[in-house]
Amino acid sequence: MSNPRQASSASQTPHLSPAELSYLYTSLSLPKGPIRPDGRSPTQFRPLTAETDILPGTNGSARIGFADGTQAIVGVKAEVEKTVLASDILQQDVENDLQAPSDRRDGAESTPSAAAGGHGSWVQMSIEIPGFRDDDALPVFLSEMMRESLVGSVTDAGKGRDTEMAGGLKGRLVINKRWHWRLYIDVLLLSQPLSYPLPLLSLTTHLALLSTKLPKLKSQGEEDPFFDDDWGVAEHLYPRPSPSASATSSQIRPPVTLLVISVGDNVIFDPNREEISVADAVLAISITRNSEGQGLKLLSIRTIDPPSRLTQPGVPNSENLSTMAATGNSDNAAAANPSAGQEEVPGVWRPRRGGIKRSVITELTRTVLKKGGVGEEVLEGLEGVEV
Amino acid sequence: MPLETSTTYPLTKLRLDGRRWNEMRVFQAQISTNPASSGSSYLAMGNTSIMCSVHGPAEGRRGEASGSAGSGGAVVDVDVNVAGFAGIDRKRRAGGSDRQSTNISTILRSAFQSHLHTYLYPHSTISIHVSVLSSDGSLLAAAINACTLALVDAGIPMPGLLCGCTAGMTGSASTPKDPREDELDPLMDLSLPEEQELPYLTIGTTTMVPVGQNNMDEDEEDGETKVAVLNMDSKVHYTYLDSLVPVAIDGCREIRELMEGVIRGSQRM
Repeated sequence: MSNPRQASSASQTPHLSPAELSYLYTSLSLPKGPIRPDGRSPTQFRPLTAETDILPGTNGSARIGFADGTQAIVGVKAEVEKTVLASDILQQDVENDLQAPSDRRDGAESTPSAAAGGHGSWVQMSIEIPGFRDDDALPVFLSEMMRESLVGSVTDAGKGRDTEMAGGLKGRLVINKRWHWRLYIDVLLLSQPLSYPLPLLSLTTHLALLSTKLPKLKSQGEEDPFFDDDWGVAEHLYPRPSPSASATSSQIRPPVTLLVISVGDNVIFDPNREEISVADAVLAISITRNSEGQGLKLLSIRTIDPPSRLTQPGVPNSENLSTMAATGNSDNAAAANPSAGQEEVPGVWRPRRGGIKRSVITELTRTVLKKGGVGEEVLEGLEGVEV
Repeated sequence: MPLETSTTYPLTKLRLDGRRWNEMRVFQAQISTNPASSGSSYLAMGNTSIMCSVHGPAEGRRGEASGSAGSGGAVVDVDVNVAGFAGIDRKRRAGGSDRQSTNISTILRSAFQSHLHTYLYPHSTISIHVSVLSSDGSLLAAAINACTLALVDAGIPMPGLLCGCTAGMTGSASTPKDPREDELDPLMDLSLPEEQELPYLTIGTTTMVPVGQNNMDEDEEDGETKVAVLNMDSKVHYTYLDSLVPVAIDGCREIRELMEGVIRGSQRM
């Protein structure tokens, strides 16, 4: 916990000198494909181990550990809660309608949408990172980033099959007009974040939600909810495909948020801390499977403040006061303030400035979403985990 | 009438979860669970499960190094975090810590500060991070055991394993003990429902490695047992301490054997 806390939303910058940063940037931005410090290919993820259903006291839980030792545990707990009357949430209804013009459940068209389509605030997420208070910028930003894609993912396949998941996660939490489930997702990072922890936390949350079970409802319609005692018949929050239909339809799964950086013209996935510190742009991209089970759907993109903005610039020899006497080049006015120098000198580190080019964002999302691309690879890997 | 150990035990001589008075819950432990720390452990006693990681001995923060204990030896820093999903109901904590976790971390800090050979590491900090994943009673005892295992994994020298166990009485035990008709039995290793209902105490014991004259004593196989931690939050009449303390010490001995097995087992790999 000796790392100083950073107000920035990006994770801590490692203490690299401008020369090291420049070296790293050059090798990562090589036009023929980046050379990463750990020898991975640009789209390769760090190896990880995953297990689910590890905590008996939760509705669903998962643990993922990266090979470098960072581990996260996610526990999901659900509570039954009374739905607030429609008149009190009229304001939220409007917002809810705007952000989720989803299919209503059958026969619910006349009721307020919060009772039918669910409400985003029913999903609560909190992240615990050692060394950070839970109201620090990093945990709050991370949890909101993951929550919005969870809540926002609404399948459009309400017709015919999978009526349970018609309203997405929000719709699934509706019990009847007066009652709903409230979902608490608690994320526990067990070690210091060695890199920006977003991919780790997102993958763990994904698995935990998949393993989440809710007790089977025994009451019907608008009765006060009454549940089956038998945990063995509990239903999965994300329903499993019925064995008969498995050939045509794949299971609906929670979204995954991937961390992507661009360095020069290269796109790099799952960056470690050193790589992220020289990134031109850092994006968090949330994806999920399309409702038909093939192809991917983009849910959200968030830009993250790259820590490279906070690094110290290198000083080129031509502007360096101490070498100037040797070179005899003494009438350089820019020497007094090295950051004012505008031109790029090869091999000299210069913090990245300005925004992201539109073409870069296009390239980043294309790499994630294309058929056989990284997004598909990650989702397939996750589908391989026995839940 | 709620089902409670205090009402069912006199009738059946069995506790709520079916154990007898001197039976412990299932004990499971692993060490070296987290490669990113100096030492780590996972420990489960029944449904209580705890992960513990140790960082250090390492150079402490500048503010601490100049503190009072800085030059004398390593400073033990304990951070206890009870996860929101650990209990039956999800707990909402404002600002990061509650009374229970602060209490446990204070006890752990003072216990291990005096237990470890801290004089070997002057000007350094040993930071212990305890995460409670699921809490079902005997939290302090389980935390002591998890910390010991993690510290052993980190290779920090200590005179012996510090093991914790709880003991309670099968009734309120608020009046003096009647030696003729004593219907109350002591219980070992309490679960959460029992903790909430019955008086209990937590004991941590350690064994001293026999040195000097005692070195030759072969009668006592595991050296001398010393009580290093004793904590009691509930009320009990002092006449019952006679029966509580030996039961807790017995539990500690059992746990010590289990923990030694865990440590030996992990070295074989």
